[in-house]
Amino acid sequence: MTASAALATLRPNAPSHAKRNLAILVAAAIVSWAFLTVDVRLDRLIDLPRQLGRMFGFMFLPPDWSYVEIAAPAMVASIQMAWIGTLIGAILSLPLGFFGAKNISSGPVSNVVRVLLNAIRAFPEIVLAIVVFVPIAGLGPVGGALAIGVHSIGTLGKLTAEAIESVDRGPIEAVRATGARSLQVQRWGVLPQVLPEIIAFWLYRFEINLRAAAVLGIVGAGGIGAVLSNTLAYRRFDKAGMAIIVVVLATIAVDYISGTIRRRIIEGTGAKRIVGDDLEQPELAESPT
Amino acid sequence: MIRFENASVVYSGGVHALHDLTLEIADGEMMVIVGLSGAGKSTLIRTINGLVPLTSGDVTIDDRSVSKARGRELREIRSRIGMIFQTFNLVSRTTVLNNVLMGRLHATPTWRSLIGRYRDEDVEIAMQALERVDIVDKAYVRASNLSGGQQQRVGIARALAQQPKILLADEPVASLDPPTSHVVMRDLQRINRELGITTIVNLHFLDLAKVYGDRIIGLRGGQLVYDGNARDADEGVFRDIYGRSLTADDVLEAVPAA
Amino acid sequence: MTSGAALSKLRPPAPKSSLIVPAGVLGALALTIWAASDQFGIGFDPIAILADIGRGSEILGEVFRPNFAFFPRTIQPMIETIQMAIIASTIGCAIALPAAFLASRVTAPGRLSLVATRSVLNVVRALPDLLYAMVFVVALSIGPLPGILALIFFNIGVAAKLLSETVDAVDRGPLEAASAAGAAHVEVVRTSVLPQVLPNYVAYSLYVFELNIRASTVIGIVGAGGIGNVLNEQIGFFNFSNVGLVILELFLLVFAIELVSIALRRRLT
Repeated sequence: MTASAALATLRPNAPSHAKRNLAILVAAAIVSWAFLTVDVRLDRLIDLPRQLGRMFGFMFLPPDWSYVEIAAPAMVASIQMAWIGTLIGAILSLPLGFFGAKNISSGPVSNVVRVLLNAIRAFPEIVLAIVVFVPIAGLGPVGGALAIGVHSIGTLGKLTAEAIESVDRGPIEAVRATGARSLQVQRWGVLPQVLPEIIAFWLYRFEINLRAAAVLGIVGAGGIGAVLSNTLAYRRFDKAGMAIIVVVLATIAVDYISGTIRRRIIEGTGAKRIVGDDLEQPELAESPT
Repeated sequence: MIRFENASVVYSGGVHALHDLTLEIADGEMMVIVGLSGAGKSTLIRTINGLVPLTSGDVTIDDRSVSKARGRELREIRSRIGMIFQTFNLVSRTTVLNNVLMGRLHATPTWRSLIGRYRDEDVEIAMQALERVDIVDKAYVRASNLSGGQQQRVGIARALAQQPKILLADEPVASLDPPTSHVVMRDLQRINRELGITTIVNLHFLDLAKVYGDRIIGLRGGQLVYDGNARDADEGVFRDIYGRSLTADDVLEAVPAA
Repeated sequence: MTSGAALSKLRPPAPKSSLIVPAGVLGALALTIWAASDQFGIGFDPIAILADIGRGSEILGEVFRPNFAFFPRTIQPMIETIQMAIIASTIGCAIALPAAFLASRVTAPGRLSLVATRSVLNVVRALPDLLYAMVFVVALSIGPLPGILALIFFNIGVAAKLLSETVDAVDRGPLEAASAAGAAHVEVVRTSVLPQVLPNYVAYSLYVFELNIRASTVIGIVGAGGIGNVLNEQIGFFNFSNVGLVILELFLLVFAIELVSIALRRRLT
């Protein structure tokens, strides 16, 4: 080989990972601190599997199947609660999302709105429910729906604003170049790009809110949460087990429907599924060995 | 010696990717496969290391059947066959060295590979492979920071790290510009001649096929339509293989660097 | 080319507009009316609510005037909340990683493990954290242990699902290369899949940690430890300005975690 090749054969030194290792060490220290100082007695930890096993047996072997007559309508009430709450959140978060987007509204306005949205997000639904909405609307699902709705405004608003900020400037510029008014630019330049994504957020939020609705019953918002709270308090574990089964089935069903609609919306906008482009031929059948 | 005996591959949907192929490839040969897209080049090359199963017939390497091998036996066979790809197939997020070390995976105990601590001998082999393709100075660079030509050389180093007896190259230069393509093809030719590794290359650039191959075979519709010396292959031969007249897309058209 | 009449014959007919969107909107509307109605639904009456809004604003007013003198009483519970969140995130995300590999069709070793893991994960995800907390408190009595356990289950559900979707979307090229070199399945996953998903994994872990902090406020309400206990207590005493302080502390904590998380994510990609 030539002389320059001899130079190229000088092997480089392995780089030092000092910073990375330090970070890992710090993280490990924090985690160890948490494990060592938490107030959990070791004997309770050892007894854990047995206690859990007993509880599982009381609840599901067998559950009180007839209790579905009470659990199912309560679950429906929770679903309705989640739906109304999500709707409130969706409708109110849309304008707030626009105001919170740095590329649409002016700097200071968008900052104020974003802080406002973060503040709303900081309140867990359950706190909102207890503190504000049950006193207003009395015991029952309406208070729960309002709590869910208001909390959702925070999360949905943030996601909407972020989606709008990441929009492609080209179409907006094009609409503006036709001399359209500002609101028209939003409607035809921005909205078509973000609407599928935003609707997907709404549906995903509905899935999450369903879980929130299920538990708000504990603090008086009715629905399946109240049923669970009662059955556990009165130690009717077989009935509680049935209620849990109802929750699982309903949640999985809603997740599935919502997920399917979400996927159709996202795929329908022309985002092509990128299949591995390794060959001219259709998918190879490689059996994992 | 690689031997195909009446090898056929039919995909679900009825596509005959390979049709009753019978072929022998001697040790140390540099063979180029040409043919249109969909002619079966990629399928053929993948039957040699079992990435594509045969529908009927057999592929054997030194009288060991590849198509019937499973599990550990198949992995053992694959460990002696290096493969490079049109899209390089490097793990972009990690270093060049880690990519090349993937060639030593078969020789490394599983626990070592899980925590990423390879044996010193294996690191040495990887380094030597990088030196052979002249890119060892980039050993600790992130793979995605390299140019296409450099990435393909890392791919070759990965294959070399296996210390293979056979090297398969599926359109290795289709994503590269002309000068770089010549560099890569020259590397493959040099490796074939210096190390005696049987090298099988899919190409669709006919001028490259003539310059760098010893033997050319042509596929059309999954069938073998030509088998001869690169010397004897001229435009007429290629026209027959393609079944149409040649276009500018079929030739790389750059003057090889001195 | 040709005369105007011949040209207009070439225009394609306007396509029939799709019925899907109007049907969807109508469906959503019907669902809303049903859900809000008195007879079948929850009885949602916006006007009555607006009339009662006064009651709520008084309480809110107190919440927004946090009582800083209450701070010392919140230190230990806050620390417990953070401990619970750290422990649950660590264990939950550690379990979620292999679970995600089993649940993705790219890395699952076989069809059976794929279906089994996905089913289990679906069930685990379907239950809210508070529900796990309620059950574990009843099974194990109050304290941080049921809370940690509840959060772990919750974490696995969230993290494994997010991670398996990322694994589904990895570039398959390097996997083919590793298989071609003769690597065993586990080695293929370790060398070709893990590096691709690692940044996402860290991001999801931080996200889960943040969720845990939020969640531990709530599970304290059922006695599972952390600041939620204090929150519940103060609400019961109608000390809304103390409640306000706790909410403020949580807000700041979550805000700080988000900052760290963003900084870390930038370093990693």
